[in-house]
Amino acid sequence: MTLASTSTTSRDDDPASRPGPAPRPGENKPVDRLLRLLRRPLSFQGLLVGVAVVVVGYLALVPLGYLVHDTFLGSGGSGVSLDAFARAYGGNSQAGQMLLNSLWFAVGSAALALTLGTALAYVQVRTDTPFKGLFFAASLVPLIVPGILYSTSWIFLGDPSTGLLNSLLFKPLFGSSPINIYSVWGMIWVQGLHLAPVTFLLMVAAFRAMDPSLEESAAMSGASRLTVLRRITVPLLRPAMISAALLMFVQSLESFEVPGLLGLQNGIYVFTSRIYFVLRAYPIDYGAAGAYAIGLLVIAAMGVLLSGWLQRSSRNFQTVGGKAFRPRPVELGRARPYVGAGVILYFLVTVILPVGVLVYASLLKYYTAPTSKTLGRLTLDNYRAVFTMPLAFTALKNSLIVGIGAATAVMFLAAIVAWVVLRTKAPGRRVLDLLAFTPIVIPGLVLGLALSFVYLRMPLPIYGTLLILLISYCTRYLPYGMRYASSAMAQMSPELEESAAVSGASWFQTFRRVLLPLMSGGILAGWVYILVVSFRELSSTILLYSPGKEVLSVLIWEQFENGQFTTLAALGVCMVALLVLLVSVAYRLGARFGLQSDSAN
Amino acid sequence: MRTRNTTLALAGLLVAAATTGCGSAVTAASEPQADGTYAQIAALPKDQQVDKARELARKEGRTLSLYTSMTADIATPIAQAFEKKYGIRVSVFRGNSETVLQRALQESQAGKAGADTVETNFAEMAVLADNGLLADFNGSALDKVGSAHKFPQWTASRLNVFQPAWNTELIKPADEPQSWEDLALPKYKGKLTLEVSDSDWYANVTKYWLAHGKSQAEVDALWKDIAANSKVAKGHTTMIQFLSAGQSAIEAMNYTYITDRAADKGAPVTHLPRGGVSKIPAFARPNGVGMVKNAKHPAAAWLFYHWLLTDGQKELVKLKLTPSTKVPGDESLRGLTLAPFDVEGLSDEAATWDKKYDALLRGAGTAGK
Repeated sequence: MTLASTSTTSRDDDPASRPGPAPRPGENKPVDRLLRLLRRPLSFQGLLVGVAVVVVGYLALVPLGYLVHDTFLGSGGSGVSLDAFARAYGGNSQAGQMLLNSLWFAVGSAALALTLGTALAYVQVRTDTPFKGLFFAASLVPLIVPGILYSTSWIFLGDPSTGLLNSLLFKPLFGSSPINIYSVWGMIWVQGLHLAPVTFLLMVAAFRAMDPSLEESAAMSGASRLTVLRRITVPLLRPAMISAALLMFVQSLESFEVPGLLGLQNGIYVFTSRIYFVLRAYPIDYGAAGAYAIGLLVIAAMGVLLSGWLQRSSRNFQTVGGKAFRPRPVELGRARPYVGAGVILYFLVTVILPVGVLVYASLLKYYTAPTSKTLGRLTLDNYRAVFTMPLAFTALKNSLIVGIGAATAVMFLAAIVAWVVLRTKAPGRRVLDLLAFTPIVIPGLVLGLALSFVYLRMPLPIYGTLLILLISYCTRYLPYGMRYASSAMAQMSPELEESAAVSGASWFQTFRRVLLPLMSGGILAGWVYILVVSFRELSSTILLYSPGKEVLSVLIWEQFENGQFTTLAALGVCMVALLVLLVSVAYRLGARFGLQSDSAN
Repeated sequence: MRTRNTTLALAGLLVAAATTGCGSAVTAASEPQADGTYAQIAALPKDQQVDKARELARKEGRTLSLYTSMTADIATPIAQAFEKKYGIRVSVFRGNSETVLQRALQESQAGKAGADTVETNFAEMAVLADNGLLADFNGSALDKVGSAHKFPQWTASRLNVFQPAWNTELIKPADEPQSWEDLALPKYKGKLTLEVSDSDWYANVTKYWLAHGKSQAEVDALWKDIAANSKVAKGHTTMIQFLSAGQSAIEAMNYTYITDRAADKGAPVTHLPRGGVSKIPAFARPNGVGMVKNAKHPAAAWLFYHWLLTDGQKELVKLKLTPSTKVPGDESLRGLTLAPFDVEGLSDEAATWDKKYDALLRGAGTAGK
């Protein structure tokens, strides 16, 4: 994706789309602009851009440097060596088979999530479908529920012998138990549903920022609805779709929750199970862990190159121009009830079923399949346990502070850096973009170790405070923020900035009054995503938090470690309720500040 | 010009990262008085040590920093009981044992000891001791601890006991396992679950078999059959949940306290046969306590070490954990046949056992088909 977004700039050779403050085509205005900014280091704009670039570079380089150092360091403590790769991939590691499993799983999950998320976003933004309110929940809930709970819910639903779907639905109706969650398809299903909200959030922003006049022209010229979709709509949305696909592909490659819970049952081992084993042992073989992470990085970089190539061959996708537009919803007509039913079905499958299992489990003392006997014994004890947890409110407060802080900081930085990457021709911008993507492959524990290594040696009061968690989350979610921001910016034609500049606006005024509002859909989507996922980040948190500075994910880990699954379920239900509330407030506020809402469609 | 600017900028970034990363400008702020305090207490006759430690702890400011792998439901009552007895406020960092170890090591390398005392799994305690992070303890509390539970610079505080666990509705009394060998019986085919990280259990059972007359070939054959009977799961908590729900029938190994807790809530699970006595060798994996060398509050650390092995043991019993000393009223070991846990062997060759167990499991999916 990284290169993909930059390819917008590469097509700036077309004078009509050339960005720059001056309306006169001809020179490298954007570069001059950036350089002018940087040459005046004390000006506000120069400082802002400079600081953003430095901060992003710094955030990404610290863990990467730590990882690379340990990976290539020779066993004697000096010199460069490739031993780590031999340890990681050689011997009886079955690395090839696992890589194939991983790829199959990641491609499948990304494809499922992309299809579902995009289809939903289209229906939500561009049609007059009923039940629009349900999309909101469907787009958030799977994201909020911690992976371990979401996977476990699906195990209770889809176990081949005792799963509720098999025993309550398929067995009585069809006399068979077709669903087996412990298969690669089961893994893809759970991971795909879990990730679909990432696509949905990205694509909703993209659809909203899309001028439908091209589609209308196509329709006027006699193109069928399908042709319009295939030839106009989808190509226009490539930046966002490729962003989403890449994010989800890499995330699936490096996740171990779903493969750990579902895959191991039938001996389906993936790449990350190697990392899991390496990081468990002492002394941790950082070299081998790094070698795996670098393997992921290579795959991610290939994805980046591929997406760059895909976009190069596509038409220009800047659709937000100087003309006013308001996407008109497609009237579904006779299809409306079917689409509505589809929406209900999706909502049922992704939200009601898994959350229903969680709610049910949270009312039990221990999980057992529902019978009239268990239904009579439901109790609120688990909720009482959650609310009387000694640290529940401290943790909630800290999670909110760090989550909102990280979401805001990342989206702010990402908006500026996306501008540098997409709107200037500064040399090194591709490196910057790629760099901002690297944290996605760094295992959380390695990130935690890198950060504690650095900040233990820094005289600033960061280690042992919430700040270090904030830094950790900013690093982890930077790649996501960058994808959200740059796919939003890729849709915008530079002519708006040019007009602002011609009218005498300063760079900062243009950025604040023109770019940010137009990008606000994408920015808010990214903000929501980071807020939600930061609530469940554990792998670096567990190393970096300090007594009295607990966050919710630490409490979740403890309930899990204690064997209190039903209390954990209650905690998960509370988190869903809280975050849904929080995000709906964010959207209300966003609407007040001029964010388009779908009710306007 | 442009290129140079960017190159400079990138170089600047690298330098900044490198200097912040490697330049340990902060000198290692060791606490010289910590070792002095430990020595001062150790030099006294044993019956005067506690009073001296209390006096010194008062001067330290009545605080203690504990790093532990106990979770809040255990750590909080423990900290409160200690606080009540000595008036010392405890701040608790809780994490899994790997995290506790990594954090303590990182802090020590940076010369900023955050922990005064550490309480965690044996393997991590052994690493801390090997790396010279822990101080010697010679208090009277050690008198009540059996020799198997005393180690250089750390002492076992509580035990996690390894036993199979099964669902009582799915496993009839006649089918209950009577030995670790039984897990290889064909009647458990497809019913057994192994946990993905249980290499320490695998190591202990293997060594036990070899020490009790089995040949390596016999042992290998048993493991092959066990793996062929099994599915693999991740996490002892998730496993007991699936066992309670009847999704799996029997687990090769779970910690007895996890099984007991589920059974206390009414789940149809147990680790004891109907007769109430299990002949299966119960390996008890120790968690240990140690004092940190450069601690900011060494006297408080000494007191905690002392307390956890004396009065603290009773608190552990109240919390239904297994103490490392004999405590009246402790029923957590009822019906169990304890077998020695190979602490030394596993501290030295953990990685080898990890690899072997991992290889066994990865064969698990296909060997049965």
